[in-house]
Amino acid sequence: MLNTKRKKIPVKYIVIIIIVIIMILFGIFSYTLKEDRKLNVVESLIKDAVVGVQKVVYAPFNYIFNLFSDFQELEKIKEENDILKTSIDRNSAIETENIELRRQIEALKEELNIDYVLTDYEYLNATVISRNIGYWYNTLTIDKGSHNGIETDMVVVNSTGLIGKIISTTNFTSEVRLITTSDTNNKISVSITNGENKLNGLINGYDYENKTLEVEGISNTEEVAIGDKVYTSGLGGIFPSGILIGTVESINTDEYDLAKIINVKPSADFDDINYVSILKRKSDK
Amino acid sequence: MIIAIVSVIISFFLDGLLSNYFNFSLINPSIFKTIYTIVALVVVLPYFNNDRKYLYILFVTAILFDIVYTNTFILNIILFFIIYLLNKFLDFFMPHNLLNSNIRSILSLIVYYILSFSILNIVKYNEYSLSLLLNIITHSIIMTIIYTTILYFITKYLYEKFNIKQIR
Repeated sequence: MLNTKRKKIPVKYIVIIIIVIIMILFGIFSYTLKEDRKLNVVESLIKDAVVGVQKVVYAPFNYIFNLFSDFQELEKIKEENDILKTSIDRNSAIETENIELRRQIEALKEELNIDYVLTDYEYLNATVISRNIGYWYNTLTIDKGSHNGIETDMVVVNSTGLIGKIISTTNFTSEVRLITTSDTNNKISVSITNGENKLNGLINGYDYENKTLEVEGISNTEEVAIGDKVYTSGLGGIFPSGILIGTVESINTDEYDLAKIINVKPSADFDDINYVSILKRKSDK
Repeated sequence: MIIAIVSVIISFFLDGLLSNYFNFSLINPSIFKTIYTIVALVVVLPYFNNDRKYLYILFVTAILFDIVYTNTFILNIILFFIIYLLNKFLDFFMPHNLLNSNIRSILSLIVYYILSFSILNIVKYNEYSLSLLLNIITHSIIMTIIYTTILYFITKYLYEKFNIKQIR
């Protein structure tokens, strides 16, 4: 007669196996959840293929949605048009000044023998395909990839200010990490402009309660006022200088009363991002 | 089986499509946001007599979810599989009906959010507060109920129309 009795595995072994599996999984997660993990060839191909299908599937919905939103915006556009008409004269003066400043910069670059300055960058426009599924990842997927010259760490902005940076690319898509991520590994160097003064600090993270960015590294003796504009400083090598981040909303001091902790209200609306521009520093060439 | 696959595919695309139309973010969760793919996987589960076929669909969906939506590796495969185990466990107490399908969907979503929140916090991908987690869970409930109810009636109607009892 066959022995049909199965050997029972002792509970302690099962517990050990489960613990080992959990540890292995966490090891895998801590490796694969690294921001700088590059997608492998298979992942890139799958992502490109699915996003290609998504674009085709979404096209009619996007068309209808855009029709409705265009219609809704008509009223607003009329008002904006009246305001714009009044500022056209001022713009031509600014443009003339801009041309003159550019000419001076070029002359200085030539004189000092440098190829680029921190404000030099080129724009590349992209459409958002999907965003932030599952909430925690704080990312957007855009329809431009390495095929279009996009690389990791490039800066992403929209018409209102800084949005984030590229964290991974496939041939035809890229993943953008928003600056509202409380990621202490990615501090952004910023300048706070108060009249003639220009103070440098670092964005230390995002405060989800107050919906503000926290800027640190500014001495308590320095003068900062509520409403001051905050721009990227260009230091650190990733973000070009002069990109608007937001305005100072409140000012506190650290526990030792030595440095200021400045809460900055971002200028970009992170809930409503449909089109973005990717900035390519000229030094990236 | 085709009905189940189509439900999951449509839900998968809905996740991406609706993310563009309803304004939401970690700061501002929307009551129109749920994870449609998970809801679809929960709703079609009772129609599978053959778990192996269901698991194929689940794994393929999870891989695509990982690659396309969250830029992660294996994470969603594990989370989706845990949700499958949870639903198999709930089979002992909950017969297949509309109310139970809704409870299962909500529980699955809660488990998904709690586990992803815990894993991402443990591996220091990000550090989020519990209040954010609670905010997101509470905001997801309404759309989960609406979508589960719609999908429940559509799949039930189609399975009855084509006289399919269970996928073998």
